[in-house]
Amino acid sequence: MDDDNAKTGVISRKVYPFAAIVGQEEMKLALILNAIDPRVGGVLIRGEKGTAKSTGVRGLAALLPEIKVVAGCRFRCDPEAPEDYCRDCRGQPPQNGGVTSRVKFVDLPLNATEDMVLGGIDFEAAVKQGTRQFQPGLLAKANRGILYIDEVNLLDDHLVDIILDTAASGVNVVEREGISFQHPARLILVGTMNPEEGDLRPQLLDRFGLCIEVHGSADLEARVELMQRREDFDTQPEDFSAAYRAENEKIAHQIAQAKKNLPNVRFPKHLRPLISELCLSHKVAGHRADIIIERAALALAAYRGKAEAGMEEIKEVAAMALLHRRRETMPPPPPPPPPEPPLPEPLRDDSPEDDHREEPDRQENQLPEETMPPLPQDREAAANGRDNEVAEHIFEVGTTFKVKRFSQDKDRKLRRGSGRRSRTRTALKQGRYVKSIEHRHGDDLALDATVRAAAPYQHRRRRPDSSLAVHIHPEDVRHKVREKRIGNFLLFIVDASGSMGARGRMAASKGAIMSLLLDAYQKRDRVAMVSFRKREAWVNLPPTSSIEMAGKLLEEMPVGGRTPLSAGLFKGYEILRNYLLKDPASEPIVIVITDGKANIACGESNPVTEALSFARQMTQEERIKFIVVDTEEAGIVSFGLAAELAAALGANYFKIEDLKANELVDVVRRNIS
Amino acid sequence: MKPGRNYPFAAIVGQDRMKLGLILNVINPTLSGVLIRGEKGTAKSTAVRSLAEILPRIEVVKDCLFQLAPGENIQLCRECTNAECREQVLHGSPEIIRREIRVIELPVGATEDRVVGTLDLEQALKKGEKRFEPGILAAAHRGILYVDEVNLLDDHVVDVLLDSAAMGVCTVEREGVSFSHPARFTLVGTMNPEEGELRPQLLDRFGLCVNIASLQQVQDRVAIMARRAAFEADPQKFCRDWEGESQRLVENIVQAMARYPQVTIDRKLLWEIASYCLDVGVDGHRGDIIILKTAKTLAAYQERTAVNKNDIDLAAELALPHRIRRQPLQEISLDISEVRHQRKLGSR
Repeated sequence: MDDDNAKTGVISRKVYPFAAIVGQEEMKLALILNAIDPRVGGVLIRGEKGTAKSTGVRGLAALLPEIKVVAGCRFRCDPEAPEDYCRDCRGQPPQNGGVTSRVKFVDLPLNATEDMVLGGIDFEAAVKQGTRQFQPGLLAKANRGILYIDEVNLLDDHLVDIILDTAASGVNVVEREGISFQHPARLILVGTMNPEEGDLRPQLLDRFGLCIEVHGSADLEARVELMQRREDFDTQPEDFSAAYRAENEKIAHQIAQAKKNLPNVRFPKHLRPLISELCLSHKVAGHRADIIIERAALALAAYRGKAEAGMEEIKEVAAMALLHRRRETMPPPPPPPPPEPPLPEPLRDDSPEDDHREEPDRQENQLPEETMPPLPQDREAAANGRDNEVAEHIFEVGTTFKVKRFSQDKDRKLRRGSGRRSRTRTALKQGRYVKSIEHRHGDDLALDATVRAAAPYQHRRRRPDSSLAVHIHPEDVRHKVREKRIGNFLLFIVDASGSMGARGRMAASKGAIMSLLLDAYQKRDRVAMVSFRKREAWVNLPPTSSIEMAGKLLEEMPVGGRTPLSAGLFKGYEILRNYLLKDPASEPIVIVITDGKANIACGESNPVTEALSFARQMTQEERIKFIVVDTEEAGIVSFGLAAELAAALGANYFKIEDLKANELVDVVRRNIS
Repeated sequence: MKPGRNYPFAAIVGQDRMKLGLILNVINPTLSGVLIRGEKGTAKSTAVRSLAEILPRIEVVKDCLFQLAPGENIQLCRECTNAECREQVLHGSPEIIRREIRVIELPVGATEDRVVGTLDLEQALKKGEKRFEPGILAAAHRGILYVDEVNLLDDHVVDVLLDSAAMGVCTVEREGVSFSHPARFTLVGTMNPEEGELRPQLLDRFGLCVNIASLQQVQDRVAIMARRAAFEADPQKFCRDWEGESQRLVENIVQAMARYPQVTIDRKLLWEIASYCLDVGVDGHRGDIIILKTAKTLAAYQERTAVNKNDIDLAAELALPHRIRRQPLQEISLDISEVRHQRKLGSR
């Protein structure tokens, strides 16, 4: 154990001092509160890159006061807390008062496998002594220390689950590979993430006690100070650290004092209803927030040397506890549609630009005739003539937003490819090694699992004439199961008819499509786009990985004319059929963006009926998943045709507004008063 | 040095930005790397590979699996699998050699276990012991990690790369081995933007970013052809011809490294950096820090001990292109001062 301490010591020698971090007071406070009382439940730090997230966490670890541990205990039990003893300490209660040790800082790397996190059989012991022993994993190492997960949003969901589970219960229960073991695992869980790389699931978010958001400072002076300090640290780390040692020690001392005083700090009963009210008014699901606010307020009071927690403390910690738990309220019933529905303002550019203004003067330049595919059939000149009279417009792309997560379900099929949307098993030797299995597939040997499987029998198999220490029989062989995310093929079928142009709906629709494209870009999908208007459907973009191209085409897409929905579906189906022939294991996702008001048929029947029967036929291909985005504006007269189409396709049905990802993390600070 | 193996760095025609970005990173490894974006056939890979020839020398324990400097990490040595080297370090003095900084290439198809290291198969089967077999990140410690076509790298490999690049430590928890070793490297990536962009978090790990295009001057293009033909005809001779030039470059670099700690910057210029970043709009503070470092390195390289305004402007051009907040799907801008100008106008 002391070895490990030394290891952390060596690496933490060049840690930027906690006290020298400029600004980021909230982050520092959240970390300190957790250091005082680990039951606050950890902290998740979200923020853009380069905002001292990791620096803060590592800095804290370096200044934490020393703790007493039972000498030689693998789990670093507290000699003064016999109720939390591990199995070893219970069986053989420690004789002396224990030894002092630094608080352990354990890094959980993204490459960690499950057995290394939980612990498993010790194969060295198994092979050499023929005994079945538990080898502690990272959770054991982090007992009474800090478990730090950098880029927690990139870690396997399943691992995050296990870790949060353990952190909440304080006990790690291991049942695997013939080992049954449990040990205490009280740890401060700290995660950092950059939301640009994708978000954590809400269930996981909720498990973190506190959550804070960090931003870069907009204050020139602070920025200058920060630069200077960082450069000083990089050039002269020893001198720099020495300059801040006193301040660091002061914080360490305060934390130690607060820890000691914490049991004596009272929580006035009359403040409890207030907390509940606070949680209720922010639409918080569950009761975890209430409990955490109370604990954090107590810790804060202790930190400030107060005898009891007050309003002030509650207010201060509430923002951190509520930030990630606030559910969006149910959307209010839409008001009668104004002539142009107000869209949320663009994020950065504050210029009051009218996003959905029609620009008739631009259309002529933007739409040279040759970009339009020629109309092969001029059967009904009359209809065409009428269509041509219909004004064509090019609408600007409306506001974009973050879209909900959608993906194909995970299955057991093997695929090749890369990307980030759906999980899949893979036969190439790529992807994350998730577990091992007995039966053979390929030559991807899981050596560790194989040796572990063989370990218990080594005593019996040993022969004096062999130079090998481990004897492996065919039945021990285990293979790796690897999993990776791959991108999907997304086909956009876009309604570009005149009805879409009404009241700026097209701007909003384009905004929605652009958002979907953006999402596709982040997840490394392939996309294709079909649009339909007038009498026909066109392939605007054959399957490609260049999302930029799709974005450009979308910007230039004109709108106008009638709605040949069934032609659009048919064209889309043609592309899909070809794509599936080329890549039979792929599972395309089709996104139909329309209001469903079909009014031109391919054949003789009613356009709507025809489109619906087309849709039903398309569902026979089981590999395709459909999504329908309804662009019809909610109003007094609504036809709900897109919903019918969705039903016929067996599709997920969304209104544009519903596509938006649940913005769980919102700035609540303003609202807490 | 090994003449004749690589095209000499000094003989590359034009592409001054790229060369400058690489040289600055050699002088000051805390700049944490450079991303070179450009079309095919613009000497991207040639430049990085030839970098090995102009790199200064460092002291390393001989045969060390982790490229450690003498006395750098005794704890790691205790757990080292290289028994001979371990004994030498722990009892008495290890053999120290001076060698050039290495350029380690990370192939696009590399698997995660090769990148971070894995269980040593031989040890496990022969002795029944768990031993760590170091991967590419261990080899790249104190050196340059070069990723060609970095935008095509598999996502999970990018994840582990980010993990290590962030703190300069590679922590391995897989296949029964639990190990951590230092891995501070200068990350150099090349990419062709036509094949897709990089993930934002990885983008941010590169200190500098340069965009390059093929040269437009006829005489430059002719020079490239002539030199390339000469190199291919007789590499040994070509390298000998350029030896003097290369040597001068190495000397400049060594001098700049020595001068760097003496470079000072006026506090007024720090304000200039901060307002520059605020004007163009960047996430976080890494942009500020990198501009400061780059400006100081530039001054050192140009044989000055005080940073001036020009250094900062040039540093911003190198440090900010990939950091400016962009509209969705907007391309990476090439001209930073132009962006600043426009955003300033826009905010008025």
